Amino acid sequence: MIQLSKSYSLPDSVEDFIPIKIVSVGGAGLNALDRIVLDGLERAEVVAINTDVQSLASSVAAHKVQLGRNVTRGLGAGGDPELGYQAAVESSEEIREALANARMILICAGLGGGTGSGAAPLIAQLAREAGALVLGFVTLPFSFEGKRRNAQAREALDRLDQFANAVICFENDQMADIVPPKAGIHQAFASADMLISQSVRSIVNVIQRPGLIRIGFDDLLAALRRRNGRCLFGFGESDSDNRAHDALTQALKNPLMDRGRMLSDAARILVHIAGGPGMTLSEVEVLMQELGRHVNEQTQILFGTAVDGRMGNRLSVTIISSLAADGDIALDGVTSLPVAVPTPSIWEQQPQPQTSVDSVPESIPMPEPPRVPPIDFAPIEQEPPIKEPAPPATSLSKKAESSSVAAQGRSAPVKKTNPVEEKLPAKQEVLQFEPVTRGRFEKSEPTIVEGEDLDVPTYLRKNIKVK
Amino acid sequence: MASNNLMVGLEIGTSKICVVVGESRTDGTVKILGVGQAPSRGVRKGEIVDFETAMKCVHEAVVDAEQKSDVMIRSVYVAVAGSHLQSFNNRGCVMLPEDRDEIDEQDVEDVKSNAREVSIPAQNAFLHSIIQHYHVDGQDGVLNPIGMSGQKLEADFHIIHGMRTRIQNSIRCVKELPLEVEDVVFSALASAQVVLTKNQKDLGALVIDMGGGTTDYVLYADGAIRQSGCLAIGGDHITNDISMGLRIPMARAEKLKIEEGSCILGNCLPGDMILLKDDSGFAGKEIERETLNTIIHLRLRETLELLKRRLDEESYLNYLGGGIFITGGCSLLNGLDYLAGEIFELPAQVVHAHTTSGLTSAVENPQFSTAIGLIKYAQAVQRDRRPRRFGRIFGKFFSGIR
Repeated sequence: MIQLSKSYSLPDSVEDFIPIKIVSVGGAGLNALDRIVLDGLERAEVVAINTDVQSLASSVAAHKVQLGRNVTRGLGAGGDPELGYQAAVESSEEIREALANARMILICAGLGGGTGSGAAPLIAQLAREAGALVLGFVTLPFSFEGKRRNAQAREALDRLDQFANAVICFENDQMADIVPPKAGIHQAFASADMLISQSVRSIVNVIQRPGLIRIGFDDLLAALRRRNGRCLFGFGESDSDNRAHDALTQALKNPLMDRGRMLSDAARILVHIAGGPGMTLSEVEVLMQELGRHVNEQTQILFGTAVDGRMGNRLSVTIISSLAADGDIALDGVTSLPVAVPTPSIWEQQPQPQTSVDSVPESIPMPEPPRVPPIDFAPIEQEPPIKEPAPPATSLSKKAESSSVAAQGRSAPVKKTNPVEEKLPAKQEVLQFEPVTRGRFEKSEPTIVEGEDLDVPTYLRKNIKVK
Repeated sequence: MASNNLMVGLEIGTSKICVVVGESRTDGTVKILGVGQAPSRGVRKGEIVDFETAMKCVHEAVVDAEQKSDVMIRSVYVAVAGSHLQSFNNRGCVMLPEDRDEIDEQDVEDVKSNAREVSIPAQNAFLHSIIQHYHVDGQDGVLNPIGMSGQKLEADFHIIHGMRTRIQNSIRCVKELPLEVEDVVFSALASAQVVLTKNQKDLGALVIDMGGGTTDYVLYADGAIRQSGCLAIGGDHITNDISMGLRIPMARAEKLKIEEGSCILGNCLPGDMILLKDDSGFAGKEIERETLNTIIHLRLRETLELLKRRLDEESYLNYLGGGIFITGGCSLLNGLDYLAGEIFELPAQVVHAHTTSGLTSAVENPQFSTAIGLIKYAQAVQRDRRPRRFGRIFGKFFSGIR
């Protein structure tokens, strides 16, 4: 008797993989790349780019490019972005070769030093000129690394933003939140690498996995396209009995996710669920329902799912979204501003108007046409923060004087410091509109010290949101 | 057994009433015979607000202590707290007559009463006047001037005073039972007697007694009290904050604070939830641990910073060699010593009574520090007072207490 297989045949085609390249720039980028490769990565090529020959030699990447053979002579850029940039200019032909034939290029770099800050924007530019979709994964230095380094990082981020289609930015200071206070410093850096690795791998997987409901570049871009945006990213995987719930909880635990709180402010969320052949519809349903509790009703959910035999018993959830950092909500979702920025040299260019950079050139190949026209969700966005003046694009050689401007101008983006730490110094009392309650001390003599009624909970008086 | 060896400490606290029965030994140690407890009602911020109810609770606690220690309680030492208590340092001065230059006991009595001749608000009464140091002809740091030669005798006193009627409330509450009140003692002073050693007082130490309704403190430098006071903020406030912040009943908030609370931030994984089981009249709830800790942290940080600002008015904080000693029920909260150490930038530790014998395991708890401290106080006072006439309740000068 012939048994009829009722199982849905999985699209197991291998040939339709999108050529993706992961390019890491500078020492920190190489560390992250090593982590990515060691964690296991399929369906993407890796390229290591650095000025420092020593660190290139120890990298596990198969394809390596040395920058500035004449400029730095195999040494590092010594924390000077100008030097890093010149090295990249010198080796731009090699970079172009390395970047060729990729539809999507992910650039990993640690900003603040020489090579990462100097070369990454140029590489992004070359990648865009090569016609690829460019995503940046960058780390910003710890604040204790000094203002100068931070200013360099901010400036580099600014430039990278102009060329990359989206930049996902990790603040090393955030690592302090996930690393226990007593852990060694290497652990803090390692956790930054881990986060980058996790997000790079999951984005590659989202794009490459044969999907039942496929997520394409366009969906990814729609979720991420928010200039200066704070990127929300969460990834969870579980193979327990209650794997749908566990995977989602894990994804929401990601530090960039702020435990799902931030999701309610996002206008667009990309959710990708992948599982083995055993993944059931009800699991997906449960997961999406649970996620629905964290998001706003009007939020557009870009949903994708894939069945991958290699997942075995596991089920993974990837959540990607971004929040506007400043009041550029109106800008978000505008599909028609394909202003490419083919400037020959990024350091000498004129200040770009802020609105012209969040753009998708038409030359970028899209695997699918955009499904849903983006809708303007302006009213449900978070309260508009103070709009800061755009920093003038100054030459990096003048960074000493421009550093304060750059730091100020770019302080808005992915900042996610502890809410308590952030708001403690605020001394000015805000007029309370709702009647202040004193709870159980309602009828007792008030404790008034230094003009404050201490019976009212501290968080109310200091206006700190605890939930 | 002579009855005057028996001493009873009574603390009418905001969250509980505690009676400790102790026995003074000839070798100077104290043996704890029994501890009676009763949950407190009718007390807010260390002061009685519902006289009848509070009296009933005190009675319960006393009966409990009598049963446990098998002793008939007649007289007690009462600890008082409350934001009305204030303190200051004052110096008294006497000049010896021309024909005499040896300081005698009468001169010391004179300088004490001279030091007390300061104006305090009319409704206030002296609670303690504690000797810090004597100065003889400008020579500093004299501990006992009797027998010394000199023309000018000065004395620095630390004076604690409070509103007469409110102190009277505590006394009346006990007298109605009826019990005799031997003495009323500022609660942090009592706690300090038992949590600090003489060495620590000499080095300089700050005792913070965080109770249910109040946070009392005394600061020692060079073996003498320099600063003391009372903030009407305590564990109740934390519970109230939790209850309001998480929208759960007070009883639940209290339990949550005790079982799960911590004032250390950033120590738990994001998304770490605490499940509150449902109960009659209360639907179950999931609470984020970080939220709970944030509420507690903010309150305690504010309280400690307030305390630091108060202490900063005089510069003794820089001279604390012994560090900070935290006691009282609230000190059981996880991480309070760490937080205090961070704010005051001094080593901080949670301490409890340790110089007693008998029933030790039962009383080695910061919650009992004040009540046990009362016994130590009583012991010191009795040693000092025995040869003298029985003093009045208000306005005592005991050299035995430092």
